[in-house]
Amino acid sequence: MDAIAILDKVSYMCPRSDRLVLADVSLTIRQGEFLGLIGPTGAGKTTLCLTLNGIVPQFYGGRFFGRITVAGLDSLESPVSTLAQHVGIVLDDPEVQLTATSVENEIAFALENLNVPRDEIIARIGEVLEAVRLEGLEKRHPHELSGGQKQRLAIAAALALRPELLVLDEPTSQLDPVGTQEIFATVRELNRELGISVLMASHAAEELAEHADRLALISGGVLLQSGTPDALYGDVDLLQKHDLRPPQVATTFRQLEHAGLNVPRIPVRLDQAIQAVQDLRAAGKLPTPDSRTAPPVTGVGQQPSLILPSPKAPLLSARDLHYTYDNGTQALRGVSLDIAAGEYLLIAGQNGAGKSTLVKHFLRLLDPTTGTVRVGDKDTRDATMGELAQRIGYVAQNPDNQIFSASVEAEVGFALKHLGYSPHVVETRVEEALTAMDLLGDRHRHPLSLPKGDRARVVIAAILAMHPDVVIFDEPTTGQDYRGARQILDISRDLHQAGKTIIVVTHHLYLMADYAQRVIIMGKGDILLDGDVRTVFNATGTLRGTYLVPPQAILLAQAACPSSHRHSMLTPDEVAACLARGGA
Amino acid sequence: MSQPRLYNVERESLFTRLDFRTKLALMTVLVLVAFIWESPLLGSVLALAVGLGCLAAGIKIAYIRAVLILLLPFLLMLTITQGFFADDLIRSRTGQTTLTPIFSLPRSWWLIGGATMTLEGVLYAVNIVAKTLTMTLAIPLGVFTTDVNSMIIGMVKAGVPYKIAFIFSSTLRFLPLLFDQAQSIIEAQRLRGLALESMGPLKRLTVYARIAVPLILGVLVRSQTVEIVLQSKAFSGSTHRTYLHESRLGPADYVFLALSLAFLVAAAVAYIGFDIGKFGGPI
Repeated sequence: MDAIAILDKVSYMCPRSDRLVLADVSLTIRQGEFLGLIGPTGAGKTTLCLTLNGIVPQFYGGRFFGRITVAGLDSLESPVSTLAQHVGIVLDDPEVQLTATSVENEIAFALENLNVPRDEIIARIGEVLEAVRLEGLEKRHPHELSGGQKQRLAIAAALALRPELLVLDEPTSQLDPVGTQEIFATVRELNRELGISVLMASHAAEELAEHADRLALISGGVLLQSGTPDALYGDVDLLQKHDLRPPQVATTFRQLEHAGLNVPRIPVRLDQAIQAVQDLRAAGKLPTPDSRTAPPVTGVGQQPSLILPSPKAPLLSARDLHYTYDNGTQALRGVSLDIAAGEYLLIAGQNGAGKSTLVKHFLRLLDPTTGTVRVGDKDTRDATMGELAQRIGYVAQNPDNQIFSASVEAEVGFALKHLGYSPHVVETRVEEALTAMDLLGDRHRHPLSLPKGDRARVVIAAILAMHPDVVIFDEPTTGQDYRGARQILDISRDLHQAGKTIIVVTHHLYLMADYAQRVIIMGKGDILLDGDVRTVFNATGTLRGTYLVPPQAILLAQAACPSSHRHSMLTPDEVAACLARGGA
Repeated sequence: MSQPRLYNVERESLFTRLDFRTKLALMTVLVLVAFIWESPLLGSVLALAVGLGCLAAGIKIAYIRAVLILLLPFLLMLTITQGFFADDLIRSRTGQTTLTPIFSLPRSWWLIGGATMTLEGVLYAVNIVAKTLTMTLAIPLGVFTTDVNSMIIGMVKAGVPYKIAFIFSSTLRFLPLLFDQAQSIIEAQRLRGLALESMGPLKRLTVYARIAVPLILGVLVRSQTVEIVLQSKAFSGSTHRTYLHESRLGPADYVFLALSLAFLVAAAVAYIGFDIGKFGGPI
């Protein structure tokens, strides 16, 4: 197979830095292949992506060693505008990469720059909008689109170039799970039907396992390994060593190996895993399901049932809550909900389901169009945002917008000083919060000089200093790698154990099985499911109906565990135990 | 959800259908005529006409009100200074030897005691206020009724280099994003329990000043990413480019261009030949 891009001993240092961001990377991207690029945050994935269209080093500067050839062009000698005709690029944040004032103009921009005739531009707009399911939105302003639609538009704009190589840097990090699957399927289709070579950096393990031909693992700027998804994702220990998340079926089978089962090959896709279970059962290595004799797995086995309202008086409540935005979008349609003190609640749903709109009502960031919202025994309309914020801490998706001060210490004490607390109280509470978030050593540093995960902890510390009863995490895992997401969720669990009421808004269900107690699934502005995590996560039909993807381990359990247990599994460990015990 | 947009009115009107070149010509003529005319009456009529044109074009009253509120201190100051202290200027312009007093300040007042506000001074101030309003409102009348992309094409057709037109349009696009980010930062501050509504102006100002850090950082990061995006889309590749949308002058454009030109010529002839529009002239 011919190569579309060859990286030959590529090393790169950023300006004014002596640290290698890429270190002696040699990698060939083959014509027509779908190459997945995996690695933890800071591994050098984005830098590697940007070398392919010459942005690194032509735009960034710095010291570059080695040679990159893309479609026969040297990436140093060819201007970026020339390379752009061969390499389409999609970045991770759709907000900043959309520059036009309408969907069609966004797609047309690069084509206009490349002097493509008008009729051809019009034809390609229709073609790529269909590919990403944005037909009919040609005249819409990109800022009127949802987050997922924006990213699909960014992908469409790159696809319009019909590049020989499409480079996508975390293109699905802002999308809901089904949106992610659709983008993967679309890119795969373009890869297969048009022969476009694809390099995609992503943390979406299940999707890469399904769609990529090959994976390359990079860590600390070093290309550690490349091979098939089976080979790389099957090496669970290697991935975990580099803080990467394997597909859940691979984790499940690794658990079986730990339990002493000889697994010939760790499956990385759901269909492979189901087949592997059947093969292992046929070979007598796994017991055949028998629900009559099977002992229950510890902590599981209860029949699915929707949770009953908590007997405690609600700390937060909404009654027949409707909210309509100025543009006429009905975001909430009669939501009624009680949240008791001490709950750990997950609110999930596709992009645009009304999750964030709902939680913003508890803080008076929004006021109900009709209906009531209460915090404790007080109607939110009778409270100011400042009063509510002292009871409810809100951690936004982007911590950088919540940081204003020149030191971590000042940031954590920022609100307290303005709220009129005495210097002694401010000092005590800052100390407490910094200790809780393990930030004492960084107290004099500028918050923005810290890594992203630590910046989120600064914001959480600042919130904790106000001693809130409730902490809301709004999409805390979006844009984070596995390690970063787990760190924030671990903090949320610690806070819950310390007695706080926790609300997490996310569509990353696979991350939440170890944390959430109660789950609310929202769709089209209404609550579709409200129950304990095990029950809701196993309601796979409803989840799929609202464009959420159940965790892969649950899908495996429902396909391979005995009927008495197949709707009560939650984690890979439980599924492995169920399979190993021959029926449970 | 929709984000705030400083540009673009929300409904179609004659102004939204005109080519940007026509609007550029119209804006130029309005500014020139406002500049020429010193008559408070004609100047006020012109300012009023432009204001009504803005409303007819769909520009929100809230925007016009905001502009007026912003300008109000300046306009008041202008009226006071011209009313009291423009005597010599008015005499040299009109040849009047005596001006019509409205009232005088007590002579005991320090420095300004005895100063007299004159009717002519106030009228001269009205003329400057009208000029300012006409010029301030003519720009949104043209810019806010035009899609940024159409603006670029119109400017390029009018001979402006594409990259300059793009930079101009990028500024317009950037402002609402900046506004939006500032709003979200203020919101984040309020979510830290800051009751801005109960703070004094000075304390509120110090809190607002904190916006600068994340805002500037955000702008820097965003600018760099936008630059990467533009380069990745062959922005700086060639001087030749095609356009998805075409810019064509229609019958309405030609009518407006002709009327604009005729208005400019008529105003100039009337001013030079018949003193119409001059301060102290027949109208």
